[in-house]
Amino acid sequence: MALTESRPTTGHTADGSEQSASFSNSPMTVLGSGDHKSIGVVYIVAGLLFGIAGWIASAVLSAHQASDFLSDNAYLTLLSHSRVGLILLAVIPIFIGIGTYVVPLQVGANTIAFPRAAAMALWTWLISSAVLIVANCIDGGLTGGSEKAFVLGLLSLAAVVLSLCLAAICVVTTVVALRTPGMRLDRVPMTSWSLFIACSVWLITLPAIVAELLLIWVDVRYGNAQTFSAEGVPWQMVSWISTQPQVYAALLPAFGILADVIATMSGRRLPQRNLFLGAIGAFGVLSVGVYAQRVLYPDYADQAVWVGMSILIVLPVLLMFAVVGSALKAGKPKLASPFALSVITLLVALLGTLAGALLVISPLELRETDAFAMGQFNLIVGAALIGAVAGLMYWAPKITGRKAVDAIGGLNVLVLLGGAVLAGLPMCIIGFSTRFTGLEGATDALTWVSAVGCVLLAVGALLGLLGLLSAARRGAEEAGPNPWESGQTLEWACDSPPPTGNFGELAVVRSAEPLLDEEA
Amino acid sequence: MAAHVLPPAPPVQRPRVLLVATAFAAAATFMGFVVLLGIYLNFRAGVLAAGSTWLPEGAKIPLQQPNATFMTLLLSVISMAWAVNAISKNDRVNAYLALGLTITFGLASIVMTWYLWTIMGLDIDSGAQGVLIYTITGAHVAMMIVSVVFVALMSIRALGGQFNSRQHDGISAAALYWYVMVAVFALIWLIIYVTK
Repeated sequence: MALTESRPTTGHTADGSEQSASFSNSPMTVLGSGDHKSIGVVYIVAGLLFGIAGWIASAVLSAHQASDFLSDNAYLTLLSHSRVGLILLAVIPIFIGIGTYVVPLQVGANTIAFPRAAAMALWTWLISSAVLIVANCIDGGLTGGSEKAFVLGLLSLAAVVLSLCLAAICVVTTVVALRTPGMRLDRVPMTSWSLFIACSVWLITLPAIVAELLLIWVDVRYGNAQTFSAEGVPWQMVSWISTQPQVYAALLPAFGILADVIATMSGRRLPQRNLFLGAIGAFGVLSVGVYAQRVLYPDYADQAVWVGMSILIVLPVLLMFAVVGSALKAGKPKLASPFALSVITLLVALLGTLAGALLVISPLELRETDAFAMGQFNLIVGAALIGAVAGLMYWAPKITGRKAVDAIGGLNVLVLLGGAVLAGLPMCIIGFSTRFTGLEGATDALTWVSAVGCVLLAVGALLGLLGLLSAARRGAEEAGPNPWESGQTLEWACDSPPPTGNFGELAVVRSAEPLLDEEA
Repeated sequence: MAAHVLPPAPPVQRPRVLLVATAFAAAATFMGFVVLLGIYLNFRAGVLAAGSTWLPEGAKIPLQQPNATFMTLLLSVISMAWAVNAISKNDRVNAYLALGLTITFGLASIVMTWYLWTIMGLDIDSGAQGVLIYTITGAHVAMMIVSVVFVALMSIRALGGQFNSRQHDGISAAALYWYVMVAVFALIWLIIYVTK
C-alpha cells in the first residue's frame, strides 16, 4: 500500500485508553502531526489572526479615503494586501481548516485523504503567508517598488495559492472517495457538500493566479519588464479574485455550515434538502469568475455572461432563504449563538449578492468609482467571516471537548452583524454619489462609518477566537459526543474531541441524517 | 457427488483516492494552461489588430519539431493505454514494456521542445511574445517532467508488485495525468505553433 493511502486505526496509549486529539495539544505535537484535527485547528487559528490583521488594514484604507494620510504607494500596498489577504490568508484558509477538521468526521472517514500532503499544505501556506506579509512590508508585493521584494511577494503568493489548492484536493478527495458505506454523494452533510463544491471551484479558478504570477515572474526576471510586470498590471492580473463573481466562491462553504447549524438547532431534518444542495451547486457554478479579468477578456463587463451571472446568483440565495424559512417554521429552534450567526450570514449574503446585481446595471453608474465594489466586497467577505464563526461556535464543543461560553457568541452576533452592515452599506451608498450630488457632502462621514465597521469585523474575528478558547478552558462543562442533543450527522456520533482514527465500526448509512435514523 | 464451491469473493472495494485526487490536480493544471493560452490569444489579437505581425522580426517557429513532438506524444497515449490495459489483465511483461516506452516518449518530447527553443530565434526579452511563448512552453515542459516522474514512480511500484488486475489505481492515475498533459500540448500545438 502506498504511504499516502495509509489509514490510521484508532490510537491507544500505553495504558490502553484511546488517544484524543486534544485542542490543547502541545505545539511540538502539532508540528509533526498528520492528524486532520490538529491541522484543521492550526488553519482556523492562523486564519482568524490573519483576518484580524486584514480587517484592520481595511479600516485603515477607509480612514485614508476620508482623511488622506497615506502615500500612494502605501495605499496600493495596503489595498492589495487587505483584499488578497482577506481571501487567501483568512476566509479560504478558515474554511479549509473547518473542512479539514469536520469533513472526515461528517463522512465517517478515519482520516483525511493524504494526511501528509495536508500537513505539508498547512505549513507551506503558513510560512508563505508570513513571507508574503514581510514582502508587503518591505515595499514588495503586487504593487511594490523594490524588485527583490516584489519577486519575493510573487513567489510567496504563488506558494500560498498552490498550498491552498493542495489542501483543497485533500478535502475534496475525502468527500468523493472516503465516504462511509451507504453515504451517497447526495447524502453527505451540507458542510461537506458545500466544501466539495467550493474546493472544486477553487481548484479550477485559483491556478489561474499561479499561471499569471508565473508570467509576471518570467517578465521581471528574464523579459524586458515592460509588459506583465509594468506598473499596475500585476495587481490588475490578480485583483479578479476579490471582485464578483469570483469573490462569491469564498462564501460558498458558509451556506453548508448554516444549513447544518439550522437543521441541528431546529431539531428536524432539513426540508427540501435536495433543493438546498442544488442551490449551493448553482451558487458554485455562478461564482466561477476566472474569465472576468481585463488581461484575459478586456470587455467582460459589457458582456451578457458577466451581467447575467451577477444577477442570476441572487436566485440560489433566495432559494436557500425559502428552505431555511420552512425549516424554522417546521421546528422550534434553539436560540443559541450559532443559530443567530447562521441566520445573519444568510441575510448579509443576500445583501451582498443584491449589491452585486445592482453593480452590473450600467445606468446606475456604480462602476464609476471603486466605492460600491468595495462595499460589496466588505458585505460578501463579512458574510463569509460570520458563517465561519457560526461554524466555530457550533463545532467548538466537538473540537475542544467542552462547551463554549455562549455569551461570547451572543455578543459576537451583534458585533459581526453591525460590522458587516457598517463596513459594507455606507460604501455602497457612496457608490451612488455619481448619480446623486447630495451625497457628496456625506462621503467622509460614511467612509468613517465603514472604517468602524471594518474594526468591528476585526473584533468579531477576535471574539470568534476567544469563543473557541473559552471552550478549551479547564473547568468548563464536558460536552459529550452530542452536546447539542439534536446533532444529525456523523461527527456527533464520536467522542468530543474525537480520538485518533475518529470512529470504530460504523453502521451503514441509510439517509442524510444517520443519527436521527438511529433514534427512530 | 457434485462438488460444491463457494461463489467468488466480491472484489475489494478500495477507495480510489489517488485517482480522484489526480483528476482534480489535472483539472487545476489544465485550467492554468487555459488561462495562459487565453492571455496569449488576447495579446496576439491586439497586436494583429494594430496591423503588426505577431512574431518579432528574425523569429521563426518551424513546424517540423512541434509536429514530431505531437506525434511522439500521441504514440505515448497509445503506450500509456496499453500499460493500463496490460496491468488490468495482470500482464506484467507488457505493462513494464508499455510504461518504459511511455517514459521514453516523454523524455524524447522534452528534448525536442528544448531543441526547438534553440532554433526558433526568439529572444525572451523581445516583448510580450517572448515572455508568453517561453512561459507557456516552459510550463508545459515542467508538466511533462512531472508526468514522467509520476509514471516512473508508478512503474517502480508496479515492479514492486503493488498493482494487479483488481488494484491498479496508481497506473490509472498516472495515465489520467499523462492524457491531460497531451491534451494541453494539443492546444499549444494548435494555438502557438500552427496558427502563428
